[in-house]
Amino acid sequence: MAAAARMTGTAAPRLAATLLLLAAWQGLALSGWLFQDVVPPLQTVLGGLASVLSSRDFYANAAITGAELLVALTAGGIAGVLVGVALGSSRFLSGAFERWVNYLSPTPKIILFPVLIMMFGVGVGSKMAMGSVSCFFPVAISIAAGVRGVDPALLRVGRSFRATRAQTLRKILLPAMAAPLVNGVRLGFGVALIGVLLAETKLSNKGIGFMIMEAYHRFDMPRMYALLILAVAFAATVNLLAGRAASRLGGQHQGTLR
Amino acid sequence: MRFAAPLSGIMVLLALGGLLQFAIQMDFISVYVLPLPSDILASLPRLVAEEGVLGRFATTAGETLAAGLLALLVGLPMGLLLHRSLRMRAAFEPWVAALAAAPLILAYPLFLVLFGRSPATIVVIGFISALPPVVLKTIEGFAATRRVLLNVGRSLRLTPGQEFRKILFPAAIPQIFVGLRLALVFGLINVVGVEFLINLGGLGQLINDLAERYDLPGTWGGILCVVLVSIAFFTVLDGCERWLRRRA
Amino acid sequence: MNALLRVEQVSKHFGTRENGVTAVDRVSFGVAQGEFVSVIGPSGCGKSTLFHMIGGLVAATEGRIDVEGDAIRAPHPAIGMVFQEESCFPWRNVVDNVAFPLELQGMARAERHERARHFIDMVGLHGFERNQPSELSGGMRQRVSIARTLASQPRILLMDEPFAALDEQTRLLLGDKVLQIQQELSQTTLLITHSITEAVQLSDRILVMSFRPGRIKREIVVDLPRPRTSDAVVSPAFGAYVADIWNDLRQEATLGLAAADRRRTSAA
Repeated sequence: MAAAARMTGTAAPRLAATLLLLAAWQGLALSGWLFQDVVPPLQTVLGGLASVLSSRDFYANAAITGAELLVALTAGGIAGVLVGVALGSSRFLSGAFERWVNYLSPTPKIILFPVLIMMFGVGVGSKMAMGSVSCFFPVAISIAAGVRGVDPALLRVGRSFRATRAQTLRKILLPAMAAPLVNGVRLGFGVALIGVLLAETKLSNKGIGFMIMEAYHRFDMPRMYALLILAVAFAATVNLLAGRAASRLGGQHQGTLR
Repeated sequence: MRFAAPLSGIMVLLALGGLLQFAIQMDFISVYVLPLPSDILASLPRLVAEEGVLGRFATTAGETLAAGLLALLVGLPMGLLLHRSLRMRAAFEPWVAALAAAPLILAYPLFLVLFGRSPATIVVIGFISALPPVVLKTIEGFAATRRVLLNVGRSLRLTPGQEFRKILFPAAIPQIFVGLRLALVFGLINVVGVEFLINLGGLGQLINDLAERYDLPGTWGGILCVVLVSIAFFTVLDGCERWLRRRA
Repeated sequence: MNALLRVEQVSKHFGTRENGVTAVDRVSFGVAQGEFVSVIGPSGCGKSTLFHMIGGLVAATEGRIDVEGDAIRAPHPAIGMVFQEESCFPWRNVVDNVAFPLELQGMARAERHERARHFIDMVGLHGFERNQPSELSGGMRQRVSIARTLASQPRILLMDEPFAALDEQTRLLLGDKVLQIQQELSQTTLLITHSITEAVQLSDRILVMSFRPGRIKREIVVDLPRPRTSDAVVSPAFGAYVADIWNDLRQEATLGLAAADRRRTSAA
């Protein structure tokens, strides 16, 4: 009952806003006052979406981007977890290196792309590297904070039961770390996707980012909108699911904003 | 003793630099993969003198500031509006949060079509990425106003306008500044990124330029410059925020 | 009695009629001009609800509260409230905090600062005018709040456990300050408190409230000589009053404790 009431409470304004936006878009498109051709009518955008989704081309390129993303998440994620655990569990290492991680974390990673090309070539390698570097920072920072955030009382409980190091790690640290881990991966996924796709738009001959640039050069706006919508929808879905998982695991929901 | 850890951190980084220098000189690593660390350092004065790093920084900072101020101008009223109605807040706050997490910079080709290869494109993308933190932190600031302060206002029979000017707004200022700081951070990241991607304007373009000239030590030097400039920028912002908090 | 403030048959129910709580039950009393009255009771007896109703922040379910015949429906200009929680504006320094009500009246800056200084001196914060609240102790901040309310020159000063968060010694000393102000301004005051010593130290009259539903159980006239100071705390007469009130309150406090325990176990 209460849930249903809350749903209708937010559903109505959301629906109204969505309809208003769509109507404004359609009105702008049909009137042709501003940005003619750049703002195509909704049916044209839907047509673009359909044609993209029914082309084999899209799936081949999505597979490549997906593979790049997977490698980036694995490599960047593992490196991030290792560094995060090291920084979080040693006061000395944290004092020595954490500031450098924090300094580098908010700089735009895409500017590293030229040197990554020199190291890993113009193909998929440099995109994977781009994604890995992007993914590394949020994971490392989130894990380091997570390790430090484990309640020392829990560790004392473990010690009072004479738990071994391995037992402490498995039975106390890891369960307590689940939420920051999922959250770090959630943030890492977002920036890795951006890194991979931006790299593809800058220099490549395959992948979703390449398709977006191709649409831009051919001035095929419906196709470009379709690809952007799909990319944003994909990112939003993963973000939502990971966010839910993190809050179910009991960690406070740390957003993108610190 | 307080400096033991940071000092050894710097030592390790320097040692790593030395090791790479050695490995490259011995041809274990090709100079086309990684230039000599000494060459990178040597490129820095050249970048400042010939490539106008400072002027480019001014361009980038100007674009970032424009994006941040626009975000403040639009985000503050939006935050107030969402704070005013519980229902609106419940409906749209998650949307704004989702916007903060969306890969908006990916849409840069779209903005290229809309605004051309111009500073407008850069500022607009910076603005869109700077907007969500301003809105979210503004709502947070208003919502976190302590109940008893509002009660003091009610007991003194403040008008709604007085309540806003004298209690709600001053109470929210610290959070609004947090929002502005985040806006400038996100703005700078995206401005530099777009400058690089569309090869226009300040620091981002510098790196693109140097890379296209195959000036590898210069590219690394440029990256170093961007990192240093962003650190300086963020440190100054942090300092401003702390100063304001102490005064508040 | 010719009362300045009159509370008549006031009740407050929360929730529905079948499934609700009666926080305040048919409370009646008056406060005369220049009188210092305390309402004392165990935690959870509805004291704070009574405070908010008299302040006009919460509407009574039944009954009537008036100031010289003028019924209270919203915050009344004759009543100045001091809250239990920290209520200084953290973004204003001491003098601007105290001058706040004068600023609302549109008084010129120099004049309102002059007036504010008078009340700052009165609460013993001379020399701290330019300090920020964050630079003061909890007791000093509560005194700023009291000075701010005094600056609005209310006919009735209404205080809700203003010293609850402070330690016993600070409380006694601040009590002296309140006595002094009371003397100086012949300020009509209604104090809500759970501290027996505080009530006896300050009041002309004490109203003892029962635990849920909150009723006035008993009225005690404190016949200690004025001017008083905290020295009176050690006198035998003072001790007799405290013992007397504690006898009454013990039973209510026990009920309150049991209710709190029940809440905790049912919540867990």
